[in-house]
Amino acid sequence: MIAFLVKRLFHALLVMFVISIIAFAIQDNLGDPIQQMVGQSVPESERAELREELGLNDPFLVQYARFAINAAQFDFGYSYVFNQPTTEVIARHLPATLELVAAATFLIITLSVPIGVYSAIKPRAWLSRFFMGISIVGISIPVFLTAIMLIQLFAIGVSWTPFPVDTAWGSWLNDLISTEGGMPAYGRGNPVPVFGTWETNFASLEGLTYLVLPAVSLASIMLPLFIRLIRAEMLEVMQSDYVKFARAKGISMRRIYFLHALKNTMLPVITVGGVQIGTLVAYTILTETVFQWPGMGLMFLDAIERSDIPLIVTYLMIVGLIFVITNTIVDLIYGLVNPTVKLTGKPA
Amino acid sequence: MNAPSSALPSRWERFRDSYLLYSFKRDIVAQISLMVFIALVAVAVLAPWLSPMNPYDLAQIDILSSELPPFWVDGSDAEYLLGTDAQGRDMLSTILYGARVSLMIGFGAVALQALIGVCFGLLAGYLGGRIDAFLMRLADIQLSFSTLMVAIIVGALVKAIFGGETFSAYAVPLLILIIGLAEWPQYARTVRASVLAEKNKEYVDAARVMGLRSKRIMFRHILPNTLSPIFVISTVQIANAIISEAALSFLGLGMPETHPSLGSLIKAGFDYIQSGSWWITLIPGAVLIVLVLSINLLGDWLRDVMNPRLYKG
Amino acid sequence: MAQHTLTLKKTLLASAMAATLAGTAFVSTAAQAENTLRMAYDADPVSLDIHEQLSGGILQLSHMTHDPLVRWNDALEFEPRLASDWEQVNDTTMRMSLREGVKFHSGNTFTADDVVWTIERLKRSPDFKAIFDPIENVTAVDDHTVEITTKKPYPLLLNLATYVFPMDSAYYSGEAEDGDSKDEIVKNGNSFASRNVSGTGPYTVANRQQGVRTEFERNPNYWDTESPGNVDTIVLKPISENATRVAALLSGDVDFIAPVPPNDLERVRESEDAKLVTMSGTRIIFFHMNQDRVEAFKDPRVRQAFAYAVNQEAIADRLMKGFATPAAQFSPKGYAGHVESLELRHDLERAQTLMAEAGYADGFDITMMAPNNRYVNDAKIAQAVAAMLARINVDVDLSTLPKAQYWGEYDDRAADMMLIGWHADTEDSANFHEYLTACVDLDTGAGQYNAGNYCNPALDELVAEANVEVDRDKRAAMLQEVEQTLYDEAAILPLHWQDLAWASANHVNIEPVVNVMNFPYLGDLVMDAK
Repeated sequence: MIAFLVKRLFHALLVMFVISIIAFAIQDNLGDPIQQMVGQSVPESERAELREELGLNDPFLVQYARFAINAAQFDFGYSYVFNQPTTEVIARHLPATLELVAAATFLIITLSVPIGVYSAIKPRAWLSRFFMGISIVGISIPVFLTAIMLIQLFAIGVSWTPFPVDTAWGSWLNDLISTEGGMPAYGRGNPVPVFGTWETNFASLEGLTYLVLPAVSLASIMLPLFIRLIRAEMLEVMQSDYVKFARAKGISMRRIYFLHALKNTMLPVITVGGVQIGTLVAYTILTETVFQWPGMGLMFLDAIERSDIPLIVTYLMIVGLIFVITNTIVDLIYGLVNPTVKLTGKPA
Repeated sequence: MNAPSSALPSRWERFRDSYLLYSFKRDIVAQISLMVFIALVAVAVLAPWLSPMNPYDLAQIDILSSELPPFWVDGSDAEYLLGTDAQGRDMLSTILYGARVSLMIGFGAVALQALIGVCFGLLAGYLGGRIDAFLMRLADIQLSFSTLMVAIIVGALVKAIFGGETFSAYAVPLLILIIGLAEWPQYARTVRASVLAEKNKEYVDAARVMGLRSKRIMFRHILPNTLSPIFVISTVQIANAIISEAALSFLGLGMPETHPSLGSLIKAGFDYIQSGSWWITLIPGAVLIVLVLSINLLGDWLRDVMNPRLYKG
Repeated sequence: MAQHTLTLKKTLLASAMAATLAGTAFVSTAAQAENTLRMAYDADPVSLDIHEQLSGGILQLSHMTHDPLVRWNDALEFEPRLASDWEQVNDTTMRMSLREGVKFHSGNTFTADDVVWTIERLKRSPDFKAIFDPIENVTAVDDHTVEITTKKPYPLLLNLATYVFPMDSAYYSGEAEDGDSKDEIVKNGNSFASRNVSGTGPYTVANRQQGVRTEFERNPNYWDTESPGNVDTIVLKPISENATRVAALLSGDVDFIAPVPPNDLERVRESEDAKLVTMSGTRIIFFHMNQDRVEAFKDPRVRQAFAYAVNQEAIADRLMKGFATPAAQFSPKGYAGHVESLELRHDLERAQTLMAEAGYADGFDITMMAPNNRYVNDAKIAQAVAAMLARINVDVDLSTLPKAQYWGEYDDRAADMMLIGWHADTEDSANFHEYLTACVDLDTGAGQYNAGNYCNPALDELVAEANVEVDRDKRAAMLQEVEQTLYDEAAILPLHWQDLAWASANHVNIEPVVNVMNFPYLGDLVMDAK
């Protein structure tokens, strides 16, 4: 048991080391930050001076050593653009992303569990087939397209007039299929400050309306995956002797479905969900780009555009850390709960 | 069933009598998907001959005919069926060429993934031990970061290292490389699992006893028996690769706007959606969805047919 | 007109409602409501030290927290501010009388010593020292008079004076807690001056979180009692994303935004809740044609053919949605060198003829580079120009880069044609030639941004003469000759002057305070009751 733990932690550290090397190696190769900091008419001599001052002329290893020592203390230097410690810049953008992910997760959980369970219990019902059909369409639409379509439908509005406009029924039908638009689709609006740099969209109705479209977009890509996963796991559990036995004992079907079967379904779903955190982070980059949601993903892309090297490096390190932590935890939970995983970690 | 005319059924006859064809004939969704997919691939391949103008030929572009809507909207020009973009490029032609680029990158990336993944999977599964542990750990780590995330980061880094100019010039091979490198673990895992299942079968032992070299055993004997799962995941992977490419291009890390794929068309058009020119972004978007959907539906059907375990429970 | 009627209706409605309310339930307290202006720019100033960077953002800040010696008015003439009067003593000396009874935010009194101290500090600032180089020295004659001596006769001294925002010398003297001198200028560092500010301006900085929000409060002791400004508090938020900024205005989250992106101009113009103010700007967008890289560009006929091939009006109209003024020269209207008679020359046949005459009827291949996030629609403009050049058989290989990478490539002159936008810091025509078309000289820095390697020594001489000509009319004639020659020889490929746009809520009267320099004089801003 201890050996397993130590081994996993060692792996985690190793991965972080590799990430730090990659993150650091970027430094030499991204555009010239000096160009960003000075005005157009500043002469070259001043620029060279500044370059020297920032340590941009030191050898690679010297720069890496400086980086590694500081990184271990969570000091990644100052963002060239914001002129603030990068960790502060990230801390400021983190709440936006976390709230978006939280809202999307809420949608995913509240929708995927009932739909997944339903389509497992009644695999032949038309509603189940409908859900399965929708879910494959959902998987096939890239998240940024879902987002763009939501913007067109609910932020800009669409007026369709396939029915005659001069009749009462026609214009009623036209109104029915047309959308008004007006939903906020850009940024966070005016989030309410909670404490420190944390501002929340959950505290006001207005804030929530800003959250709707981005959260739905982000959820739309993960939802089908989870519906299908829950359905598949549930189908498998339902066939197990354990459920058959419960049924034979005369326990009510409802109790079997929601207490016994679902409980056994959740473990694999949660572990898969944990691993999907990485995918979710990737999708937040896309969602935030479309909606200009001022979170970490948008900040990362801006940082790339502006060659804000310290910020890019910090982002990679922190996202890497988040991945490594979640994966290690998922691994540990899985290892603890599922006895078939060999705790020594030796290959079979 | 027809009685075979010769002693052994020919390939075609075997195929004709197979379960695969049987289930295909009964599955209307699969039939439509295949038709749509083939149609899209055909028009994309034939784009240079089908499209009314060459979107890469700047001399054919007139900025004075920019932002014209598609034919069913008021103010359209019959010359441009699907309207024009902000530069005055014919949308229909641009989309055909764009689909061509998207498909090229999708197939190319999957071929590369398959190559890397199959080799690593065979090695890991057949040799086992340290190589297996190392490769699979690598695959785990990469998968845990999500393939799209890896592609975005690698894309950003490659673009930063090579500079935007070089990146644009070699965007197609670079994107194939990025997406190929980001998504090989799927193949490696699948192949390794199949190899582990095959490895201890008698024919492999027999081959080994006969003194055949590992390489030969792996490629000539084990690989052919792992082809059906490879085939199944390939469909999903092509869809994934096309989406990844579109996502990268949408973020500005993919195809340049002068040589657009469907993703960069969507990105370029997105600037205009607020000013009412929805077609520049939504029509290429619709084409992308139809393309990916048809591949995914085919993949779904293939998985059901080749791996019926899921449905038996 | 439509807007006005709407506003009027609203106001009527509002007052009617207010009257009803007051009549029924409330006893009006009649307290004067605080006027708070919530505004959003694309970026916030990088520092509170107004000498740290020469940029639009810093100058906008300077006009809020400080006052210049003189400033530009609508007609691009000088308006006295902290300098109440000035006279040329001789060719190289100017005497300025300073306003009396002016206090800094700290309570210190403004004197001639502050002006001397400020100009000396400007001459130390990495960003400003180059443009302040012509100044030899500054002396305080008495408490309210300074004398500025230039190394040579310098006609642009007043232009320069618009950049002198006297700082509180007593406040910035001595050492900060960390032991560093309070007046040091640190690029992107954490100096005393980058965190603390004391000027004479209409606003004091009440609170600042960089990149998040800055709060300004009206300076209760502001010297300019004639200023109509009635804004008590300004909250400045940076919203870098164009669409977000517009959405914030339209949803009423902010009252004033700049810049307004071209794609959203219509949306703002049509909105009932906001109004749009546009103005032809002074930033010229143009292409350099590199004669060192492409032999053909040495032939003036080829350069002229390019000038004839490009349809500036189509770009301004289609891509920029009318948000640009097509240009045939560097100098916008109002600048000394502007030549009224220079016309756009779009004429495809003429272009083809010229190419044929030069022996390039079949065209040639060139590379082109443009930034993709620096100027409005920059990448799209480059694409359009590439398409237009295809008509004269010139095959363009275009690449567009984010600005972070672009300027490095620009310094390397990495492509045959490169796009750049230029705004003359001095609001003067000579500046264009000095940086953009003068013969390249690494030692003097002449032609630092001349990526075309165009070189005409006669023009350099003419500009040098103009730079010591104190007679404004004579000087203007010289600069106009320069523009005319650059046009005739098609030294560059001008496209347009990028327009400026601001948008505000209806009750904020921004029209009188915005200007082509894009430093809104927010001290004079008037807000109506909502």
